[in-house]
Amino acid sequence: MDYTRQELMAIATGRELRDGELAIFGVGLSMLAGYFAQKNHAPNLMAFTEGGVFGSTPVGGLPWGIEDNRISANATSFTNAIDALCVLVASGRCDVGIIGAAQIDKYGNVNTTGIWAGETPWQAGRYVLPRVRLNGSGGANEIAIGCKRYIIMAAHEKKRFADKVDYISSPGYINGGHDRQKYGFPGGGPSAIITTLGILRPDPVTKEFYLDAYFPFSSIEEIKDNTGWDLKVSPNVKVVPEPTEQELKNLREVDVTGSLRKK
Amino acid sequence: MRNKLITMQEAVAKYTWDGMTYAHGGALPVGSDSIAFGREMVRQGRKNLNLISNCNTQQSNLLAAVGAIKRIEVGFAGLEVYGFANGLKRAIETGQTIAEDYSNGAIPLRFLGGALNWPFVPAGGIMVGCDQQWCSGDNPDEYPATNKMPEITDPFTGRKVAVFSVAKPDVAAIHVTMADIYGNAIMLGTEWSRYELSRCAKKVVLQADFIVDTDCMRQYPNLVRIPGEVVDAVVYWPLGVWPQCSVGVYDSDEEHMFAMNAAFKTPEGTEEYVQKYVLSYNTREEYLAMIGKEKIEKITNNPTTFLMDPYRKWIKSDDEIKELEGRAE
Repeated sequence: MDYTRQELMAIATGRELRDGELAIFGVGLSMLAGYFAQKNHAPNLMAFTEGGVFGSTPVGGLPWGIEDNRISANATSFTNAIDALCVLVASGRCDVGIIGAAQIDKYGNVNTTGIWAGETPWQAGRYVLPRVRLNGSGGANEIAIGCKRYIIMAAHEKKRFADKVDYISSPGYINGGHDRQKYGFPGGGPSAIITTLGILRPDPVTKEFYLDAYFPFSSIEEIKDNTGWDLKVSPNVKVVPEPTEQELKNLREVDVTGSLRKK
Repeated sequence: MRNKLITMQEAVAKYTWDGMTYAHGGALPVGSDSIAFGREMVRQGRKNLNLISNCNTQQSNLLAAVGAIKRIEVGFAGLEVYGFANGLKRAIETGQTIAEDYSNGAIPLRFLGGALNWPFVPAGGIMVGCDQQWCSGDNPDEYPATNKMPEITDPFTGRKVAVFSVAKPDVAAIHVTMADIYGNAIMLGTEWSRYELSRCAKKVVLQADFIVDTDCMRQYPNLVRIPGEVVDAVVYWPLGVWPQCSVGVYDSDEEHMFAMNAAFKTPEGTEEYVQKYVLSYNTREEYLAMIGKEKIEKITNNPTTFLMDPYRKWIKSDDEIKELEGRAE
């Protein structure tokens, strides 16, 4: 079957969402995955964006932002940042969120703030400017601390999958184990990292992410080679089922401009 | 009630100055924002700004690109699907602009704290336990930073909780879809943090796509989330969010969004952009001519325009507005 890595990543992410859940999506890929799920198998998914745009589905293609006309043309409610991000998400009420990552570590901590080329921002006790400045956390921090569970989507490349991220913008399990409880986060943490090659899930005790399943066109070796830590592999590691015709059709109806079709 | 309708030039001259703490209000990075107000600040040469941006937009991207921002408190520094904001990115990477990072929920909570005149705001779990708490742009060599989100003891439970400082900008320039001459305003699309911003800033200037009769507000008083009582000045500037979108009125100018951001990659590109799209007009008519008739037709034909239908009969004409501007009190 003819599909791209990005398309299977979006479909695999969508499969994680269940009918009837309250869900928040970030911009871009995560939004396509979320609205795909709603179209495909979760018609009663209650989706909103961090700006407080409720009840809408994208019109005319992938929205340029989570507040733009393409996502505002058929909304049932417009509220605001405190309502969406603080009242519904940071409080612990939202079932599931989807976020992206520029850099990610074995405990699911996400860096979207800056790249210091494998160093921390503090070298010999002095702060150094980032080699590359990224966008900052936006609302992903609220999703990471507050959603009952959340899913991280990232292109599977060694430079992104680091033993330690340069900067934690949004917390996963910090240093693993029960670390989240120490900070009193209401949410449960990341339930999966869905990449362009496969699916990683956290060990129930240590919270270190291991390989749970790989895409049909990938392999355990390829994934290990593209991961910056010694990735553990589940003894029951699976192959992710290929997209069904129905799934691809539904995804492409959401992704009308074909942003996921680019190889 | 006082007629607060003044021209853009007057508003920027009166309500902005070098070194001020300025907040701009809109809806996330690519939606509504008072971008025309920011262009006028560049035209009047404002510099050394301490900016509070819940999200970066093409306004903060422009101000950073021309080197006018010495420090920014920001929740999201990019342009969403349009990519990194090259002007702001360059200013931070070269050290010209100090970035104090917050999350998108933290900034409106700090606005709310400022609006309520609270001493600080409890963070809940927001930004706690990660580098956003431990890394401070104001005191970057101290790690972990102790002053950005200090911990206090919850007097009810005895637990440690982290707190945010509150935000009280000198002036907020807020984009609204429609306002009357007294500053009563209706926003279409997400309000984002404009409600809190309109209450925490010491002075508030509205930039409106339409000036409407006050009868419009009397028909829909529940929708007037910014009442004139908290507003100091109103400016009429059609397509004032361009090249970003204003829900219900015009769509994004995708071509210009990319071109503008590409120009900000270098000081030379920025200079060329400023000559062509910031200094090249003086009046609203010249501004619209710069965007071009064809482009305006394209972006005003979009799937959200039905949202304006209930309000159209109260929209004031350009001639009426010119007359009202001359009679501000």
